[in-house]
Amino acid sequence: MTTLRAATLRLFERLHDETLAVDAEHVVAPSSIEEAAVVLGVASEAGISTMFLGGGTHLGLGHRVRADLVVTSTRLNRITDWQPDDLTVVVESGVSVEALGAEIASRGQTAVLPEWVTGATIGGVIATGMSSYRRLRYGPTRDRALRVQFATGYGKVVIGGSPVVKSSTGYGIPRLVTGSFGSLGMIGSVTLKLWSNPPTTSTVEVDDAATAHLRTYRPLAVLETSEGSFLYLGGTAEQIVAQARDVAGDSRHGLVWPEPIVDPIRIEFRVPPGLVRRAIEHSRRLGASRWVAEHGVGRVAVGLGALDDASFGAARSWAESVGGALVVVSGGEEIDPWGTPPESIEIQRRIKQAFDPSGICNPGILPGGL
Amino acid sequence: MDVAAQLTELLGAARVHTHPLDRLIYAKDSGVSSGDPAVVVLPETAEEVAAIMLTAKEATMPVVARGAGTGLAGGAVPAPGSILVVLTRMNEIFEVDEIGLTAWVGPGLINLDLSDGLAALGLHFAPDPASQQSSTVGGNVGTNAGGPHCLAEGSTIAHILGVEIVTAGGDVMVLGGAAPDLPGYDLRGLIVGSEGTLGIVTRVLVRLTENPPDVVTMLISFEDIGDAARTVSDIIGSGLVPAALEMMDGPMIEAVENFVHAGLPVGAGAVLLAEVAGHPDGITAEAALIMQIATTDAATEVRTASDEDERALLWKGRKSAFGAIAQAAPDYYLNDTVVPRTRFVAVLDEIYAIADRYGIRLMNVFHAGDGNFHPLVSYDASEPGMTETVVAASHEMVRVAIAAGGTLSGEHGIGIEKRDLMSEVFSVDDLDAQARIREAFDPEGLLNPGKVLPDGSRCFDRPAR
Repeated sequence: MTTLRAATLRLFERLHDETLAVDAEHVVAPSSIEEAAVVLGVASEAGISTMFLGGGTHLGLGHRVRADLVVTSTRLNRITDWQPDDLTVVVESGVSVEALGAEIASRGQTAVLPEWVTGATIGGVIATGMSSYRRLRYGPTRDRALRVQFATGYGKVVIGGSPVVKSSTGYGIPRLVTGSFGSLGMIGSVTLKLWSNPPTTSTVEVDDAATAHLRTYRPLAVLETSEGSFLYLGGTAEQIVAQARDVAGDSRHGLVWPEPIVDPIRIEFRVPPGLVRRAIEHSRRLGASRWVAEHGVGRVAVGLGALDDASFGAARSWAESVGGALVVVSGGEEIDPWGTPPESIEIQRRIKQAFDPSGICNPGILPGGL
Repeated sequence: MDVAAQLTELLGAARVHTHPLDRLIYAKDSGVSSGDPAVVVLPETAEEVAAIMLTAKEATMPVVARGAGTGLAGGAVPAPGSILVVLTRMNEIFEVDEIGLTAWVGPGLINLDLSDGLAALGLHFAPDPASQQSSTVGGNVGTNAGGPHCLAEGSTIAHILGVEIVTAGGDVMVLGGAAPDLPGYDLRGLIVGSEGTLGIVTRVLVRLTENPPDVVTMLISFEDIGDAARTVSDIIGSGLVPAALEMMDGPMIEAVENFVHAGLPVGAGAVLLAEVAGHPDGITAEAALIMQIATTDAATEVRTASDEDERALLWKGRKSAFGAIAQAAPDYYLNDTVVPRTRFVAVLDEIYAIADRYGIRLMNVFHAGDGNFHPLVSYDASEPGMTETVVAASHEMVRVAIAAGGTLSGEHGIGIEKRDLMSEVFSVDDLDAQARIREAFDPEGLLNPGKVLPDGSRCFDRPAR
């Protein structure tokens, strides 16, 4: 570490940032992705384990990482190129979800980012692969990350994807980076596909989420929660009135999302969409205090006061037996956050090796200890 | 025992072809390149594909996967001396989950056969490339194919939840699945659009889309293509998500109308085919909003399809573009590029200037909502040097698109024909990163070599300067 300290202080003194309370010997805050690449190049040569920090909202997700160097995105905080008429925005990784949302809302646009997180950065959302409830209508975040610029574990700046809303040009690197948890390098900026907000939106409380989903055409979201079931509609006023009438529920103007789950232990079922109800049953058996289930998607976010190993094991076995997963999002330190590694683990290992040959980027965070 | 004999033992003589005439049948796809495989095989199961892969590996022979051969970029052109794996016999619909809206299908299943097979359930497969009557789902996966309805629905990638592949090492494995956000890297997302260079897809888990309760299709005419372009931007800016926004320019309208007699306005500068889908009681308002925007933007005529026959006729007009052009000359070269939507009128002017300079006949169809251009050149390939001229002109058109902030391909892929243009949109380090991915899947470089990435993409392959 002495060598690294000398190197970073000498070469990157102005990047050094002691203000973050992170448990690591060094914290650097590069002001460009090129600087981040140089830092990673040095770390790679010296074999220094490195983690990347955005808003710090999802540090509990994935295997625990022990890092000697923390690289933060605090200085990568610009919206560099917003083209409202082309529905694209280039945004640096350290920009917060709220800041981007506020900026593009001025032209009635949305990047369709998660509604339930506060303080997360764009880099964090891409790295963790989190999606909005509205993915039912607009697709997951992964499908809207058009282009990504990142610094690899071997210290090079790489751009993958294309700057336009549709492309079949080379490998889908943005999709690979989305949900890679910083294991391939540090995200510098992302080009996101935007959507115009619908002319009118409405939240309809319904008796039965599954029936409401069947009766409506392309809703924005259908959520079954511990507090009730809600249908979210967008379109012209006439379209919304017609759809809301078909499901006979109480309608409110605008989109009113469930309160975020803040229990000490948070887990997520990710199962085929047809099995959401079964996942809710398992959640109840686990003693869920709150849950939010996304019909048509298959994600069920669950809050728990405590975790019973045996019941959790049974729930995870069920989720995996139906081709899904039960992921620990927060708390439950003693439990493997991911579960059984995927069948493709050997190819995954080679991908990790290809982008992070020294194994320094968030080492071990992914399934199978990648 | 030679490779053909081994493969014959595996598959039987009827599914292994080595005769020059048989090989010639599979020498090319629908692009302009061709190649000669050593042997053509037609497997029927993933296990057979795996055995073929192992045979190839042992003999260090390249393996090229192919569906119906409708690709336009040369992605399925056999590498010299390769084993060409034709997947058209693997065309079953295995399982349909009506509740979860998914189905496992074979890669050789024809796109439209999938939607037709689901019609009774009120479902369809959303990607609808113009080739959908003949292209296969596996081919759609290979190129991340698009189509008019991917404006609202997304390209093929958004409809592929999982794939079963045979790896370069001969293993069979499933990547992805019906559950969202499965832990680990999204290898499914890499396979889609990888043009058979990362694995051979032997089964596909597709997302099914419910048929819309009601649809309104409009044909909107403009004197000036700039007004049509502005209408597209204004419609999208309104917050509506039209099911499709397709455009044809003047020369294309004329060619299509001569061919299908759909009542298209010959003499117009452009037509826009706009479609909205939704609840029958609300859809009129959405259509009215589109008509109002178009009228404000100087549309000269708005025609609404009054019944399903008229709607089918309007779509026939759009989808017959490639048939129509065959009237003008025996061959055509269809380009595919994407530009930021706001740039497409300027880019169109430049593209026509290129056509004039090369003395070639050009017309255009666009997936206008996505800024996806399809400049279409009609020519006679038997004229000496003509193919080369057309390809050179087309490459210039692509460069214009790149200069306008666009990219090489929206939905056809890179294949051979755009491979050497990759370095115009990606840096040495970007290409090296892509080559690293390829190497992670296929360390020996057996899968569809010579496609997608230019030679020397992997940094250590490059001679020292």
